Amino acid sequence: MTTLPVNEKLPADVTLSPDELLREAMALDTTWRDKPGVWGWLSAVDHKTTAKRYIITAFLMFIAGGIEAALMRLQLARPENNLIGPDRYNQLFTTHGTTMMFLFAVPIMTAMGLYFVPLMIGARSIAFPRLNAFGFWNYFVGVVFLYVSLFANTGPDTGWFAYVPLSGPAYSPGHRVDVWAQVVTFTEIAALCGAVNIIATVFKMRAPGMSLNRIPLFVWAQLVVAFMIVFAMPAVATGSTLMLATDRAVNMHWFNPAEGGDALLWQHIFWFFGHPEVYIIFLPAVGMVTPIIETFCRRQVFGYTAIVMANITTAFFAFGLWVHHMFATPIPELGQSLFTAASMVIAIPTGLQIFCWIATMWAGRPRLTVPMLFVLGFLFTFINGGITGVMLASVAFDKQAHDTFFVVAHLHYVLIGGGLMPLFGAFYYWFPKITGRLLKESWGKLHFWLFLIGTNVTFFPMHVLGLNGMPRRIYTYLAPTGWGPLNLLATAGALTIALSVLIFVVNAAKSWFGGELAKENPWEAAGLEWATASPPPPYNFIHTPLVRSRHPLWEPTVELPVVVGLRSDRREILVTTTFDARPDSRHNSPDGSIWPLYTALSMGLVFIGSIFSPYFVLGGLGVSLVGLLGWAWQSTQPSGVERVALPDGPIVERV
Amino acid sequence: MKPLRPVDDVSALPTVTFGPRSLMWWGTLGFMTIEGWTTALLVGSYLYLRQNYEAWPPLRTPYPSLLIPSINLLLLLVSVVPSAMVAKAAKRLDEPAVKRWLLVMCAATIPTLVLRWWELWALNTRWDTTAYGSAAWTIVGFHTSLLLLDILDTIGLTLFFFIKKMPVKAFSDATDNSFYWYFTVGVWIPVYLIVYVGPRIF
Repeated sequence: MTTLPVNEKLPADVTLSPDELLREAMALDTTWRDKPGVWGWLSAVDHKTTAKRYIITAFLMFIAGGIEAALMRLQLARPENNLIGPDRYNQLFTTHGTTMMFLFAVPIMTAMGLYFVPLMIGARSIAFPRLNAFGFWNYFVGVVFLYVSLFANTGPDTGWFAYVPLSGPAYSPGHRVDVWAQVVTFTEIAALCGAVNIIATVFKMRAPGMSLNRIPLFVWAQLVVAFMIVFAMPAVATGSTLMLATDRAVNMHWFNPAEGGDALLWQHIFWFFGHPEVYIIFLPAVGMVTPIIETFCRRQVFGYTAIVMANITTAFFAFGLWVHHMFATPIPELGQSLFTAASMVIAIPTGLQIFCWIATMWAGRPRLTVPMLFVLGFLFTFINGGITGVMLASVAFDKQAHDTFFVVAHLHYVLIGGGLMPLFGAFYYWFPKITGRLLKESWGKLHFWLFLIGTNVTFFPMHVLGLNGMPRRIYTYLAPTGWGPLNLLATAGALTIALSVLIFVVNAAKSWFGGELAKENPWEAAGLEWATASPPPPYNFIHTPLVRSRHPLWEPTVELPVVVGLRSDRREILVTTTFDARPDSRHNSPDGSIWPLYTALSMGLVFIGSIFSPYFVLGGLGVSLVGLLGWAWQSTQPSGVERVALPDGPIVERV
Repeated sequence: MKPLRPVDDVSALPTVTFGPRSLMWWGTLGFMTIEGWTTALLVGSYLYLRQNYEAWPPLRTPYPSLLIPSINLLLLLVSVVPSAMVAKAAKRLDEPAVKRWLLVMCAATIPTLVLRWWELWALNTRWDTTAYGSAAWTIVGFHTSLLLLDILDTIGLTLFFFIKKMPVKAFSDATDNSFYWYFTVGVWIPVYLIVYVGPRIF
């Protein structure tokens, strides 16, 4: 380890007394707590409050997407079933995909970062709490818009990827595709606000001593993903808002071949976002796996540097394989070979991480708690999905399996195995941190086994169905195809998954309000998020911890070293240097504000209104301007005497 | 929980910083990256569509005019000077100079937005005629939104400096506003070259 970047300037034998801590905690609580009442609730900017709203909304979206999936499975359970007609079925599979990708998976993975990154790096808040709240409200507008549209029979119906020309004005009149394009816009804004927040927070707000080589691996994963979001999300925003929506609303010709436009351009733009999207979901999950393995195997992870490098390499490669979604289009042969190679190569960094985890478990003493079971379930399921991914990277195979249920099987193995299983593990692991209570282990084990069995019973038969020629996105099939029995089996599996999720929901609800109380560090874990109360107070830490290693709470010291001197009469946070995390300045973090909500709603007016008339855009921008002015006015309130570090000059005090 | 042992006191650290030491600078850089990348994606798509045409601009579509766009490019480049002066004054916490240069910056930047209207028509095609027109209008239109955003920010900042007592951190915000303006101007140079000059070359 490197030398301690912070000098220990204060006497070595003094610890803070309980009275001192209590006084400080009370002062901080008054300063940091969001205001009570409805207005206070709507104005809240605490990163944990915003993240909890994200997590709960996104989980509700998971349930909604799951219900849609269950309805589709019931329709496909037997040949020529007539439970759901083709039009409704189209809306269901489109809304299922859109919900799961845009409104569940990405938001919940980002939200876990927005909750835990500041806690894991010893910060009092996030870099831009108001921007964070603005991002959430944007997302929320998107959620409400999609589901109101679905119930009004205006749900999008051209697939979660909205391929042109089907989604263009000629083949999809009406507003169904417009709904999709704008829902995507809302979620992109939210994801970008979250990503900028995570990057600034990780770079500038780490606890003193937490140099880059001591950042927890979950935080590394979130940082890498934030960069991926910054480069991936603008692609889909460009495609959906600046191209598809303008083709539909003001007769542009981006995708109209008759006027020189190009349908394949959409596929390039969409998959340039769409493939990294998979890793935007997968990498945070990978970040959750490491602390769970470390904690329940009682040893430090094997290959910290290798895992960090694997994360970064995966992120780079993720941007270089989008064309493997387009092998069925006329792509030059050289391009096919390149993207086949890239698609196979990305398995290497992922494999490397898996070996690091296996080595950690091998050398440790695994305890099979529920989070650990989900990690094992992740390894089993994800590796299966990864192997079919390598198969699909081959052009010859891909062309046979393209648009069949084999691909459905593959992507669900990858996303459920690689995203959802670690996420469920993380819920069990961090539930006590968020709520102060433990989830019931016995119910958790039942949840795990039913979920694991359900997933495999649902999706394994789909490989066979796909190889037997069953195409994706069909609402029914004829009995002589012979697809009936395996489809019935898959439906039984889907209902098993539904039952397992129901068990989790009941467990979470019962435990949140009456479960066993958790100790501050119930798993005896190493991360800083466990160095404060559970649930954490609004200010996260009474004093900022000082970090000396990658596992601060496993340090063999009697005391926890802390840095003092941040004011408690205003929301002051510590800013540190980017590489070594040396204390650099104190920053006054903003308090609650209604303007993020107002501005998000007015932006909603702009985007939703744009579907109906360009004049809504002008009017909406005017209303948004009021919001931005109000926001800026509130941000420039007098803040008393400040110590100003003049560039190339001394520190001066000014009002 | 383990007892807490204080090892360092940060109360003497500054509370207002400039540039990369300030959080807002990082936020600004983040959004600049997003917007710059979006522009790059649009330009890439514009060049992708070029493959579909024998001639660029398409037959019977005149070249974009160069007069207004070139004047506006010059104005944008000149406007960087008052913008830099605002930043310089802000770094000295010199409020009168900041106010003065903010007014000059408004005077220099607002005309670029006015000229942008004619600049759009200088493309000499409509957005709904061909894919070429759609791409050119979208790129210039997207940049116009960046222009509008920063000019509104500059006007707001100027207004606030004149009508209310601004906290000292507003000086740091003023330097970030200039930082964003450099970006807005800088990103326009390749866009101007590709969209207005480019069709004459490729």
